[in-house]
Amino acid sequence: MSPNHMARRHRPARAGLAAGLTTLLALSGCGFVNTGDGDGDTATLTTYTSPEQNTGLADLYAAYEEREGVTVDASHAAAEELNQQLRVQLTSGTAPDVIRVSPGYSSPVSAGVLGEADELADLSDSAWAGQLDESTAVLAGDGERTVAYPVGRNAIVAAYNKEVFEELSLEVPTTWSELLAVCEELEAAGKTPIAAGLSGGVYLQFFVYALAGTLVHAEQPDLDERMRAGETSFADEAAWTEVFEKLTELNEYFTPDALGVPADQAQQALARGEAGMTLLVSAGLPQLFDYAAEGSDAFEVFALPADDDPDATVLPTAPDFLAVNAASPRVDEARTFLDFLAEPENVESYATTLGVLPGVGETAQAADSPLAPVLPLVDEGRTAPYANYLWPNGDTQQTLLQSGQQLLAGEIGVPALLDQLDEQYAKGTR
Amino acid sequence: MTAPPLPARAGRRRRVGVRGAPWLFVVPALLVYGVVVLYPTAAGGLYAFTDWTGRAGDANFVGLDNFRRLFNTESARSALVNTLTIAAACTIVQTAAGLGLALALNTRLRSRNVLRTLFFASALLPPVIIGFLWQYVLTPTGPLNTALSDVGLGALRQNWLGDGSLALWSVIGVIIWQNAGLTMVIYLAGLQGIPPEVHEAAAIDGAGPWQRFRSVTLPLLLPATTIALSLTLIGSLKLFDQVFAMTGGGPGYATETLSVVMYKEAFVSGEFGYSAAIALVLTMIVFAFAMIQLRTLRRFEVDS
Repeated sequence: MSPNHMARRHRPARAGLAAGLTTLLALSGCGFVNTGDGDGDTATLTTYTSPEQNTGLADLYAAYEEREGVTVDASHAAAEELNQQLRVQLTSGTAPDVIRVSPGYSSPVSAGVLGEADELADLSDSAWAGQLDESTAVLAGDGERTVAYPVGRNAIVAAYNKEVFEELSLEVPTTWSELLAVCEELEAAGKTPIAAGLSGGVYLQFFVYALAGTLVHAEQPDLDERMRAGETSFADEAAWTEVFEKLTELNEYFTPDALGVPADQAQQALARGEAGMTLLVSAGLPQLFDYAAEGSDAFEVFALPADDDPDATVLPTAPDFLAVNAASPRVDEARTFLDFLAEPENVESYATTLGVLPGVGETAQAADSPLAPVLPLVDEGRTAPYANYLWPNGDTQQTLLQSGQQLLAGEIGVPALLDQLDEQYAKGTR
Repeated sequence: MTAPPLPARAGRRRRVGVRGAPWLFVVPALLVYGVVVLYPTAAGGLYAFTDWTGRAGDANFVGLDNFRRLFNTESARSALVNTLTIAAACTIVQTAAGLGLALALNTRLRSRNVLRTLFFASALLPPVIIGFLWQYVLTPTGPLNTALSDVGLGALRQNWLGDGSLALWSVIGVIIWQNAGLTMVIYLAGLQGIPPEVHEAAAIDGAGPWQRFRSVTLPLLLPATTIALSLTLIGSLKLFDQVFAMTGGGPGYATETLSVVMYKEAFVSGEFGYSAAIALVLTMIVFAFAMIQLRTLRRFEVDS
């Protein structure tokens, strides 16, 4: 072989090597290649959580690092962005060890969906798994196994402006009739009864879940099971019709032109005393408090009543989950971390920092939280999961957000909306 | 034994080097481009014919089902109509507005540079920021409605983004507001490329201002028009950011575009196969419209 020939043979090899290295570097930079410390390395535990979870976990990370001698490499992103990236990371095998997942079947990266696909580690034999209340347990797994740990729980609560209520001598409503009466009195006083920013539809769903908690799930805890089995449907259940009829009734008392109003503007109107009440998830309370000069002292919360029996009111609660990536080389270490979080003092630390309900164990520790007025319902077990968490796909919720806006705009009626929900629901059960 | 002549070997080596070297420099970029752009594009085209849910190894071939679903679902058809409406309205009005602004500011007006900068500034801001800003401006109690009331035009107050019959036009208005400045800059460049002698000659021949505009300025602006129309059409067909920030596609389905549906199907519903089918259809629509437009305008350019 001539030297020339050899030179020609080597050039492509060198070029290929250079190109390969370039590609590898580019991919590493883009995060497509797992540059972790290697299989079985216990020195670093990676987490990917929501910003709220990260705020609650920051101190606990430090405590865990000190106790276990490991480093926690924590990343976080807004839930929507996180859901997008996590799906890609799981598919490409680059997901962190501990990840935030949605409850039930509410998104492509939820405990139910990922659990059924064996993408999450089985945590059923963890000590805390046996302590989950019923409404949390049903959302923490795939029907057979527990695959997610509830680091905290949110609740859908109504918040009212204390000064407005005192001025008008209004009592906190405990029944549906009382709620409407309070709305009438607020309206007569020139106030917006219910501050509702329904632009985008996100806040619209909370009214549906709050009403459904009492009207649908408290009455028929097995309804989702029967719907999945095709034994009944949204259109067939009178309770669901009642939910949406009551939603349209409340619409009369919402912020004028609510479909064009962002949620934060509605909450600011409540803080200024232009409105009497609003409905939001408890994680949003700190933001609401920021809008008032008196902070949290300006507001009080209550569970939204949906019928005329005050003892029937149920509080919708939503667990905030962490799970273990089944493909992680550090599954055992990740499980140890979740067990650490489940220790009572750490549960309390997280709940206190964020002002949320504890994910496991007693709620007494949260007595000083803004949620104190609704804690008796939690202690009595009068809680229900958000309705969408047990729907079989994200399409059903998406239809609720969009067609629900059409319902409030008067473009469609309740039967048409229920039919649309059934159509989307059926896609997930085929 | 006779050694080969040295100059010939050296020359041959040099020729190989000259031929090979440029390609070697391009290879890393090509590889990255292939991995980041070409492969995902080709894979997306294949996934459009599957029911892929985003999980590895979870894609089954479903033929044309995704495309049938796209054209048989009312909300998807509505998104297609919205997309084409936005594209048509933006292409026509934005181009006209950009041309008008360019003509107005291609004068000896003293403040023309300040005005050019002001009109172009909106095009420099990220579309998402523009979306959030206008969402605030257009709320029922926002600055626009307040200003209308303050100047005695309270009867014109509207629920700009919350009224299903008005929201799409509000979004279109914002997009045109943002991008008219960019079109203006393209036309200004075109106008400044027209030699003054041409206008002077036409004036000497007796052509009035309107005739000079119609017979001289407009034909000579055709290359700029081609660029302006192409950019506007392609940009508005794949519109996502402003819509998502201002309305999220709502109220109801009133402002949903194909890009918004594509996003929701993939990342909210986990239907990546269906989403890829929407992307493929959108790509074909953009390609078809762009080709028709380019060919038509180029023919006018040649004719003129």
